[in-house]
Amino acid sequence: MTITGRLARKAIAVVAIGAAAALALAGCTTSGTPTPTAASGGTVTVASVNDFTSFNYNTPQGNLDTNGVVNYLTTGGFFTVDPSYKVIYDTSFGKIEKTSDSPLTVKYTLQKGLKWSDGEPITSDDMLLAWALASGHYDSGTVDADGKVTKGTNYFSIAGSTAGLDATSLPTLGTDGLTMTLTYSTPYVDYMLVSPIAQPAHVVATKAGLKSAADLTALLLKLPKGDPASPAAADPTLQKAAEFVNTGYDVTAMPTDASLLVSSGPMTVSAFVPTQSLTLVPNKFYTGDHKAKLDKIVLRNIPDANAQVAALANGEVDVINPQASADTLAALKKTTATVSTGSTVSYDHLDLSFNATVFKDAKVREAFLKTIPRQQILDSIVTPVDAQSKVLDSQQFVPQQSSYADSVKNNGSSAYDKVDIDGAKALLAGATPEIKLMYNTKNPNRVDEFQAIQASASKAGFKIVDAGSPDWSKKLGDGTYDAVLFGWVSPGYGYAGVPQIWSTNGGGNYNKYTGTDKLAISTQTELDSSKINAILAKMDAQAFSDAYGLPLFQLPGILGASARVQNVKFMGNQTGPVWNFWEWTVTGK
Amino acid sequence: MVSFILRRILVSVLVLIAASFVMYTLTAYSAHPLDDLLSSSALNKEKLIQARIQALQLDVPPPLRWFLWLGGAAKCLIPLANACNLGKTISNANVTDILPMAMQSTIQLVTGALVLAVVLGLALGIITALRQYSGLDNAVTFTSFFLYSLPSFLIAVLLKEFIAIGFNNFLVSPTIPMGIVIAIGIVLGLVVQSVVGGDMRRRLVVGGVTTVLSVTVLYAISLTGWLLKPGLGPVFILLLSVGIAVGATALIAGLRNRRALITGMITVVVALGSYFTLQGLFDMASVGTLVILAIVAVLVGLLVGYLMGGYDRGQSMRVGAITAALSGGLVLLDRFMQSWPTYVSEVNGRPIATVGYQTPNLGGDVWVSGIDSFTHFALPTLALLLISFASYTRYARAGMLEVMGQDYVRTARAKGLPERTVVVRHAFRNMLIPITTLLAFDVGALLGGAIITESIFGIPGMGQLFFAGLGRGDLNPVMGYFIVIAAMAILFNFLADLAYAALDPRVRVR
Amino acid sequence: MTNATGPIVALEAVLPESKAPESQGRLIFRRFLSNKVAVGALILTFLIVLFSISAVGLGPIHGWWKYGYTDLNPQENGGTPTMSLIPEWLGGKGIFIGNHPFGQNRIGKDYFAMTMRGIQNSSLVMVVLGLIATLIGVIVGSIAGYYRGKTDAILMRITDVFIVIPALVIGAVVGHAFGGFGAATLAVMLGFFTWMGIARLVRGEFLSLREREFVEAARVAGASDARIIFRHILPNALGVVIVSATLIMASAILLETALSYLGFGIRVPDVSLGNLIGENQSAFLTRPWLFWWPALFIVSLALLVNFVGDGLRDAFDPRHRRFSLRRMQEERPSLAEDENVRAGDDGDFMDAQKK
Repeated sequence: MTITGRLARKAIAVVAIGAAAALALAGCTTSGTPTPTAASGGTVTVASVNDFTSFNYNTPQGNLDTNGVVNYLTTGGFFTVDPSYKVIYDTSFGKIEKTSDSPLTVKYTLQKGLKWSDGEPITSDDMLLAWALASGHYDSGTVDADGKVTKGTNYFSIAGSTAGLDATSLPTLGTDGLTMTLTYSTPYVDYMLVSPIAQPAHVVATKAGLKSAADLTALLLKLPKGDPASPAAADPTLQKAAEFVNTGYDVTAMPTDASLLVSSGPMTVSAFVPTQSLTLVPNKFYTGDHKAKLDKIVLRNIPDANAQVAALANGEVDVINPQASADTLAALKKTTATVSTGSTVSYDHLDLSFNATVFKDAKVREAFLKTIPRQQILDSIVTPVDAQSKVLDSQQFVPQQSSYADSVKNNGSSAYDKVDIDGAKALLAGATPEIKLMYNTKNPNRVDEFQAIQASASKAGFKIVDAGSPDWSKKLGDGTYDAVLFGWVSPGYGYAGVPQIWSTNGGGNYNKYTGTDKLAISTQTELDSSKINAILAKMDAQAFSDAYGLPLFQLPGILGASARVQNVKFMGNQTGPVWNFWEWTVTGK
Repeated sequence: MVSFILRRILVSVLVLIAASFVMYTLTAYSAHPLDDLLSSSALNKEKLIQARIQALQLDVPPPLRWFLWLGGAAKCLIPLANACNLGKTISNANVTDILPMAMQSTIQLVTGALVLAVVLGLALGIITALRQYSGLDNAVTFTSFFLYSLPSFLIAVLLKEFIAIGFNNFLVSPTIPMGIVIAIGIVLGLVVQSVVGGDMRRRLVVGGVTTVLSVTVLYAISLTGWLLKPGLGPVFILLLSVGIAVGATALIAGLRNRRALITGMITVVVALGSYFTLQGLFDMASVGTLVILAIVAVLVGLLVGYLMGGYDRGQSMRVGAITAALSGGLVLLDRFMQSWPTYVSEVNGRPIATVGYQTPNLGGDVWVSGIDSFTHFALPTLALLLISFASYTRYARAGMLEVMGQDYVRTARAKGLPERTVVVRHAFRNMLIPITTLLAFDVGALLGGAIITESIFGIPGMGQLFFAGLGRGDLNPVMGYFIVIAAMAILFNFLADLAYAALDPRVRVR
Repeated sequence: MTNATGPIVALEAVLPESKAPESQGRLIFRRFLSNKVAVGALILTFLIVLFSISAVGLGPIHGWWKYGYTDLNPQENGGTPTMSLIPEWLGGKGIFIGNHPFGQNRIGKDYFAMTMRGIQNSSLVMVVLGLIATLIGVIVGSIAGYYRGKTDAILMRITDVFIVIPALVIGAVVGHAFGGFGAATLAVMLGFFTWMGIARLVRGEFLSLREREFVEAARVAGASDARIIFRHILPNALGVVIVSATLIMASAILLETALSYLGFGIRVPDVSLGNLIGENQSAFLTRPWLFWWPALFIVSLALLVNFVGDGLRDAFDPRHRRFSLRRMQEERPSLAEDENVRAGDDGDFMDAQKK
């Protein structure tokens, strides 16, 4: 009796467990739907070094390469730049016209029928917002050395500079909602490189608590220009809008708020797996010339250059743009990928400090520069990657620009074409100056440059002291070194950056060089590009005759593209390989 | 017990705080977060530098900044408040938001490597101890020495270049050359005869049979293109499951225990039955389904063992559970294999991945995404595993040898207990005691090793977070990383203490 | 704490030393010598280090090899190794080493000289790190183990603070901060963060040794704490210290390698085996010799030092050898005789709870 009872209890328990398991199972199944079939255009996966962090590329914290690529793919604009750094105007988006020289007046006209990816029209409201962002027109803040605002209000924080646009008065908008006219109080050299399109005004308006883009426009037109001397009270609505634009676009996961994804460009973000990949699909409201032929562009996060090559060889990515080295190139050539090389916009250069005692004498500067083995440095660092590369001979232009060749002919760089130890010795006349040469010890290129220079200059009697440091950037301009090896990034187009390095008080003039001050400043108010190039050529020659320093080489770049993707072309600036994504096609699957 | 745990937690928190101070100040003084801006030629450089100084509070000297950081981090200790604040990265992301993402892949990687290292290391260590001074023992000892002395990146790079890309290339036309087939067969034969031991004749027979068998199997695999369309089918599932049942019985109960053997066999039949009945369910399975099925399988095994029981119920139940789990695993493995061709065509015929932890936009069911995880994690896990596995082997071997020399083991033998009982019941448990200590240390080493493995396999996990953060001078993610690994190290130490206490009755937790 | 301040100084001199250190030492030495693998490893390690020092010299002294590790030379054969080891009668080019037996790097430095310099630096890191870590570990461990109680608790909590951070992580941070200051500085700094394993081991030894009769005798004889620690207990814990110091050295090579590989170790223009590999990691497929030569020496050094440590352990602690499953089998002095564990791994940090 007891036995049967126990068995019965056991049986009940078993049945109960079974039933519970069945119920749980039913809850834990999927419908088993098949995966959607692939569409016809195909997918291209591009390796990116850094993770995506923000839908707003133009904030100081969001201004990173991957964000820039996404921004490039998702933002329409009045122009793009080609690999020779020529500006190509995109009339399918709109046009820029200069309507008056004095005062400089520029009119922006949007193409009719443009729409954001949520179906809302792109209008002059959006242009006005972009102008408000970029010009700092409403800012009245005074900032101390640590970056604290001590008085007044600063609204939008932007990565770029307000230079140029800060000289514009409140724009006038056309009645058709498609035009905006800017008037400059002083001429601005890069007026044709202003593309007033950024975040969608209707989204920003909603986030600021306004009803529509028109309300935001009304507010912007009504508010007074900010005056740091006597700041007005902050406008709470604009502050709200600014707060959203400044930080609201920063993400660490695919946003649940679809309004962050609203795009004016050919693509729009469809998926984002943090630290892993970001997927873009065509914007179905995009009507311009840069329509993609692909179904998807995937940005895949692979920090390591070797891992990128392996991933390309293994078919996990299609396009890579890894940090260049001869070995990476050779490894890439062993795969079936199409490989191209070129020069990037970064270039290494040797600068002499004009306030260093040892360089007070122009002869010492000249003698030192004569010992710099530029060809040897190029041959060991660049030539193995890019066989066509040549020593950089201009401080103002890069070889991809048309003005480079003319400038090089006359700038006096030929005096430093070859290492001239005897010439240097003659100039030194038996002196053995000691030179503290600073460089970044964490950068292998600079280390190799230093060693090559040290070996060569010693032959002429120089004593080269190793002032290399991982802290080099903090020491720039502090007078603890006599010469420095480092790199600049030249944008390749536009002239607004010229005074930064070449005027006496420029923020990048660590060498306290004064020889080109007036010329550099005069470029900023010149509107005729041929005249600007003439001034730059003059500055180029001046710098060489003052023995300012020497440009060494442009950093080489490598582009590897899987054989199944066509029309991927090398681009040396920060946009990288995606610059012509609309031309890409995929064969096979 | 409770007071012991509370005391431990309190001390751990204090240790953690002190360690965080060391880490914070060291990192802060070595960091150059303004490097990129200082050397830029941007027109508004000053403004950008100011913005970053403001955002990262760089105007506060590091020791004081640590207090600010600690203030935010302390809120993590308040349960359910969700007020955790570990600061922001240079690109304005909350560290608390990016940490979980990074942890996911790292924990998967480290746990996988740890479990496999322990299981394989212990097994190999015990075998070599029991076959001391055999050819296998010498080979394993030398190999473990060698693996010890190998920098971890070397293994990772070799695996990636040769195994991943090499295997994918091989898959294009997967025929194994006859010479290699025979070589593998001979090696396997040598290994197995060494493990089995005995006199010369027995060894020759065992080795010969193994060689012939493995050559046949490999040749068949090569000939039928099995690697492209793998699968076990009911026949092989049955054969392998019977093998498992016999093995489990031999190990746990001894083959003389008929009830245990029958338990195993019944479980095998149930598993085979489930193979036929569950295929429909599998097609719409999710991860949850599989977890439930696994639990059910183990329960069924236990139940069968319980019902078959006899005087030593525990043994039968253990045999049942192990057989059920493993043969159920075979059924699942077969189902995964069925999805393999789909997966391979999804990734253009190159299944083994070299980078990341998943294929973007893959979609697909639990089987395909399961395979995707496997192909991404297999090699990095192996790379991590190979290094720590060596130390487990040597520990286990040393421990086993020492334990086998103890008096109580001799006594057990003298009582006439079979060798199996002596090893499994008396020696094994005591050998585990020092291993628990090693385990706690090894977690730290594995997490450190993950930095290198992750960087080589492009897995954006915690190691990458640390590596990139340190390189960029981005302090907060580095500290986020630190908090997690330090907490894990402390946790594992604590668990090791508990395990120690559980295994060694002499230790009492006060 | 004992009343070790008693004035019975005279007695102490009369008391015999706990054990005759000479005979004990000789026994251990003999045991070590009988281990052919360990002795061979020790000799080979010294030979490698001597070879590297004599090849490129030390400091201002120039070695016998014609190139220094910083000299820039013209590229020969695009930097491929000029060495040939296949004799002509086997179809090779004959046996010669040429100008650059290990090849050259991209700016023409001789890779043989660089590898030799790398060995020097890596062994420097190994020795210095080992010594510093051992020194600190011994001091902390012996004080904690000898005084017990509060001192012990505080010192062990401090140890915990450092042990919480994995060696590679703290190493990366330290290397990031001090990597630019040369191998010696880096090694010293790393030593400050890797002493915890030894400290625990030594503490464990002290905890048990301090209860032994000879310590009691010394105490009664009025020996000072310092004297008891350094003259009486420490010599008896020497085995543990030496063995784990050796094993720490082996892992120091790997730590330095890993750090330099990640770019947080010794920085160019100075050379270590790790940064040679790190610098040339992209050369793995294209110029493999840049990768394999340093890798070969890293693995050899680590392996050899591990063997030495292993032999030392057997020599100091023959207990491990006692049991053999097949005792009838003749004893074979082979590699198989290690049953030991890695340095720092077998610390008994359970002691606090074990009582």
